[in-house]
Amino acid sequence: MSNPYIPVPMRVSRIVAEDPERNLRTYNLLFENDADRERFTYLPGQFCELSILGKGESPFGIASSPTEKDHLRFTVNRTGSVTEEIHYLREGDIVGMRGPMGNWYPVELFKGGNVLIIGGGFAFTTLRSLLVYLMDHRDDYRDITVVYGARSPELLLYKEELSAWGERDDLKLHLTIDNPAEGWDGLTGFVPTVTKELSPSPEDSYAVVCGPPIMIKYTLPVMSELGFPDDRIYTSLERRMKCGIGKCGRCNIGPKYICIDGPVFSMAELRDIPEPV
Amino acid sequence: MSVEKELRRTVKDLLEEGGIDLFIGWERGSLPTVASPLFITDPVDAERLIFDITCGSNPAVYFTKDRRQFDGRRVGVVLKGCDSRSMVLYIKEKQADRENVVMVGAQCNGVLDRGKVASAAGGREILELEDDGEKTVTLKGRDYEIAVERDSILSSSCLSCIHPDALECDHFIGEPRQSVTREQRLREVREFEALSSTERWERTRHEYEKCIRCYACRNVCPSCYCAVCFVDQNDPPWIGGTCEFTDSMIFHLVRNLHVAGRCVECGACARACPMDIDLLLLNRKVAMEVLERFNDEAGMDITAKPAMADFKEDEKQDFIMG
Amino acid sequence: MVKLKKNELDRLICRLAGSYDVYAPVDIDGNVEFARVSSAEDMDQSRTVTNLSPKEIFFPKDEVLFEYDADGIRPADSMDRPIAVWGIRSCDTKSLMLLDKVFGSAIQMPKEERFQDPYWKKRYDGALLFGAACAEPLSTCFCNWFGGGPFATEGMDVHVTDIGDAFLLNPVTPRGEDYLESLDFTAEVSESDRKAAAEIAGSAEAVMSPPVPIDGLDQLLPGLFLQEEVWGEVSAACINCGACTFVCPTCHCFDMQDEGRNEKGRRLRVWDSCMFPIFTSEASGHNPRSLSRHRVRQRVMHKYSYYPVNYGEYLCTGCGRCITVCPVNVDIRRTLLKLMTHDGEDG
Repeated sequence: MSNPYIPVPMRVSRIVAEDPERNLRTYNLLFENDADRERFTYLPGQFCELSILGKGESPFGIASSPTEKDHLRFTVNRTGSVTEEIHYLREGDIVGMRGPMGNWYPVELFKGGNVLIIGGGFAFTTLRSLLVYLMDHRDDYRDITVVYGARSPELLLYKEELSAWGERDDLKLHLTIDNPAEGWDGLTGFVPTVTKELSPSPEDSYAVVCGPPIMIKYTLPVMSELGFPDDRIYTSLERRMKCGIGKCGRCNIGPKYICIDGPVFSMAELRDIPEPV
Repeated sequence: MSVEKELRRTVKDLLEEGGIDLFIGWERGSLPTVASPLFITDPVDAERLIFDITCGSNPAVYFTKDRRQFDGRRVGVVLKGCDSRSMVLYIKEKQADRENVVMVGAQCNGVLDRGKVASAAGGREILELEDDGEKTVTLKGRDYEIAVERDSILSSSCLSCIHPDALECDHFIGEPRQSVTREQRLREVREFEALSSTERWERTRHEYEKCIRCYACRNVCPSCYCAVCFVDQNDPPWIGGTCEFTDSMIFHLVRNLHVAGRCVECGACARACPMDIDLLLLNRKVAMEVLERFNDEAGMDITAKPAMADFKEDEKQDFIMG
Repeated sequence: MVKLKKNELDRLICRLAGSYDVYAPVDIDGNVEFARVSSAEDMDQSRTVTNLSPKEIFFPKDEVLFEYDADGIRPADSMDRPIAVWGIRSCDTKSLMLLDKVFGSAIQMPKEERFQDPYWKKRYDGALLFGAACAEPLSTCFCNWFGGGPFATEGMDVHVTDIGDAFLLNPVTPRGEDYLESLDFTAEVSESDRKAAAEIAGSAEAVMSPPVPIDGLDQLLPGLFLQEEVWGEVSAACINCGACTFVCPTCHCFDMQDEGRNEKGRRLRVWDSCMFPIFTSEASGHNPRSLSRHRVRQRVMHKYSYYPVNYGEYLCTGCGRCITVCPVNVDIRRTLLKLMTHDGEDG
């Protein structure tokens, strides 16, 4: 029987600093063992625990798409001792990984519909996974629209890809920053406001909202106002986590464990939970 | 008038006259050996108050729960001698405002130790407890009734208590009680000090091996109110989380030192421990050290600077010189 | 059913010890808890409720998940022999069944391997449990609120009644039956033995207070969730230590911690408690349960609402340990009664 507490070894193949302060770094990881790679299947929205032996683990949403077969990608914000250690990793180093964990954005359900992706800050990771996945199955979906905001242009993740996506005509990409900045020719304003102004049609549409809690808090009502029904608005939640497999008892909201019942929830599901998100 | 009657009347008056918004005391617990803390705002509820051998916890602790939950309210509280020292400590450490606390001292005849009383009953369940307040406590169960010597079931902190009466209070209820001499208080510490280092190590190990890291001792302790306790510092962790002796020992020894000069020897930690660890011994040893080295006792003088926040040139410094 | 003379108990324990790691209540410095025994002499069977619950046999206070060094990661060496337990009460065998739903299977998910806890399963799946009938229930026993009782057998392999000079061993599961059949030193049970057992059962039942009906509590609680005042009331005295959760046979929250230096070390899991603020405090500093009343609410909701939503029964067996150990007499029975009679209006 496989042991879900044992991390598998992954080798760092590429590191990209995302912001000038280099607090945000993106890591491409390759499986050391073929058997581990073959066992690992996932969908956008799932997460993994990255493990630094002697320090501990932290959960990270998977930023790569299952359609990018060769590697897994994670973007790590330096906030504590585990993420600090991850930041010390160099290309070629080994890091532990447990996963995939949690559920995923319902990409099967979205088929044939319009998909609106709304993201904020460095929570764009699993949204990137989703976007790449959708673009790689482009014919299965109708309009794909992205609203992505950050405090400043430097804090937008995946800048090279953003400019490539901006060039495409089968994707509507709206980038926004909180305040005007020199050399910025995108939108300015907070994500909820920008979304409201863009006024996307709820017709045959699904919305995926992911970002810092404050952004989610103010964006979800906007989606409802725009006419998106609760069962077509999805979000991804975070809580302090340890085991990732529904045992250790800390990441619940109401009767749901974020680690196995989530992290992806529809608004309809959240309405049934007494605990405010 | 009995202590309880007078207490109820005083509290009723305080609540009725508008002197306080809230009063903290005890009511009869669901078990015969432990009282339940009671928080009252309605003068009618003053009738529920009790004050007896089962009122073992230290009510001062509620002043720091949830980061000063009583701020902005005028709160009355009934205090044993030790509890009053905790309030003094809080006032000195700016955790409570003197003008917003109404301190009601009450005649304390000691509180019981649940481990001792359970042993006295021979492990049988105690369903009733009657205290004559002087010499004898009667324990009753389903098919037994025994009278035990009162002192034999008192908390060891009470047996050597030198300040049973509230030192700082706005009201005092009952008769002040004779305190014991310092020699009695010192005896246990001296016995411990007389042991060889190996014996002291074994004794300490023996106690702390029982620890399950539930932190009942820390949480009932008014002197332990750090916003984030060192054992909860987990990024990076400051201490291992296991119940292995080495981890448990570090927790207890560091706690001993953190409350040095601040421990009022109320014994609430020892009474709260579900594993019946003798938690008082080292706290008392440290208190003795503070007394001998700095001539200071925690929570005694509302105006004095706490020992660990003060420095005097003539302090003993042999620990530096060796 | 067979009879085991008391002077043959040691023979049974030795026999068990031949193929099992045998655990039984043992007095360790005045605290009775379950520990390894090699003979009947090691045991203390006098307590109706042990100080610590036997969950620690299957879910230890600290447990090594794996060790690592320069050569890689090795799962911790765990025992190869199955576990047998003597003298476990029905509230505690029931609790193991409740824990098995969490550790053995999965929440609302297909029974995938990745949701099974190999450490728990290795211990619990092959365990042989000799349960003890409770001749003398305590005033804190409220197993009958949850369908249990002093002579309940749920979760046991063999139900054992002490009739004075002998034990009556009644098989509950095929595993228990097989084991009893393998014994060649038991005696037949006489009619008077049965009568003696029935009398003990009758007087034990008579001691129990009538159960408080708590059907529907799980339905009621979500409606009280946002009523801060009632949670403030039931948590006012609570000092937020973890004593209740650590002695509880069904509390199972844990933390995972690394110990190590220079490429050598281990990862452990240790008991944790929802009573501690650090339990849910996040790297950002945000804590969804920063107040005492919210943590008390979590404990109550988990046991009497969330677990029932996920598994269809309460995560409490009425053992009463939390009542006994609480330094400030927070009595879960009073808490539940208070919640059930709350008028539903905040303020």
